[in-house]
Amino acid sequence: MTTAKFEPGERVRVRAVRQPGHVRTPNYVRGQTGRIERFLGAFKNPESLAYGGSGLPEKPLYKVGFRQTDLWDGYAGRTQDTLYVDLYEHWLEPARKEAR
Amino acid sequence: MTGIHDLGGSPGANPIDKSQHETKDWERLADAVTVALDKKGIKTTDEHRRAIESLDPERYRELGYYERWIAATELLLVEKGILTREEIDQKAAEIEESWG
Amino acid sequence: MSGTHHDLEEHGHNGVKPSAEAWRYAARIRAIEALLVEKGVLTKEDVRRQIEYMESRSPASGARLVARAWVDPGFKALLLSDTKAAALELGIDASGPVEFVTVENTPEVHNLIVCTLCSCYPRAILGRPPDWYKSFGYRSRAVSEPRAVMREFGLEISKDTKVAVHDSSADVRYLVLPMRPPGTEGIDEEQLADLVTRDCLIGMSVPRFEDVRASVPSPPIWS
Repeated sequence: MTTAKFEPGERVRVRAVRQPGHVRTPNYVRGQTGRIERFLGAFKNPESLAYGGSGLPEKPLYKVGFRQTDLWDGYAGRTQDTLYVDLYEHWLEPARKEAR
Repeated sequence: MTGIHDLGGSPGANPIDKSQHETKDWERLADAVTVALDKKGIKTTDEHRRAIESLDPERYRELGYYERWIAATELLLVEKGILTREEIDQKAAEIEESWG
Repeated sequence: MSGTHHDLEEHGHNGVKPSAEAWRYAARIRAIEALLVEKGVLTKEDVRRQIEYMESRSPASGARLVARAWVDPGFKALLLSDTKAAALELGIDASGPVEFVTVENTPEVHNLIVCTLCSCYPRAILGRPPDWYKSFGYRSRAVSEPRAVMREFGLEISKDTKVAVHDSSADVRYLVLPMRPPGTEGIDEEQLADLVTRDCLIGMSVPRFEDVRASVPSPPIWS
């Protein structure tokens, strides 16, 4: 059984790596810091499945929330507006320290 | 830059095109063949996405939604040695000829 | 911020509609189907069954889930905790490797669904997505300017409400549970379902109810 490394509410940073090939981490969140909203379960790794691999071991998946005002310059909307992206654990690392 | 398909946050000031085109029979067929191959375990959704993402950016931009699906399905069937491009070319030519 | 793609729609192509090469692709997929059947990889029955499966899926299923959730708090809890199980209870088979999560609109939060990377959508419940959902424009702008996009569709979200956009980037598909419109206390479940359009389930619209009974003369008072 896969155990989740991160807890809801925990601040995480999306790894700012360029990985060639099929990945499901949108460019716009790479290097960005967000908060774990919830653990979604473990799924076969799409980065492996995409090339005929087994996708095992399964990877934990999280819904991560980002403040829109952090993501986009001049975001036109409420500062509470949030963007949730479903991200795999191996793309996340603990955020260093509270910036705010 | 991760790929032409990674569109989140791309600039573009045009209003969203709200029009709905009528789904053609060949589009329904593309959908059905792609998913049937998936259900038979011949290819995965992840391979399908990877194949679409591997299309030349120019082609990605110009093709319609199901045209990209057809290009991806063909790519995978050829990659897996199930069909050859030549036999698809030949059969397609026969079909086009039968349409007059 | 991703600013490296030039406007994909500058030539007026939304990335969805068949291109000028459509006829070639139409021939190609028919060729592929014929060859696969010839070689015994697929049968015509496999293809026919899959076409039927997709045709049987429609937003009406989503509307039924919402209407039931509005009238039955236990079902609502199930819908929010295990959408697949809730669907099954109403006879909607959404089985498969994909997971479904339903997100609830409240006075505090309005939800909007997108898939920027391709156009993932809860097809097993709702059927095929609308063209606009799959368009380059929507995939680009729903995440970065959701309020402007919703405004284009005639939906204005109050400044007091937080907009939550969900990018379906992995194997979870999202449905929105919209709020039940006021004044609907007297209408039945079927009528409630009629208020829930496909766009409401994506977050691009909200159910609206006009109480037409207000225009009907009051019944006579019996002494």
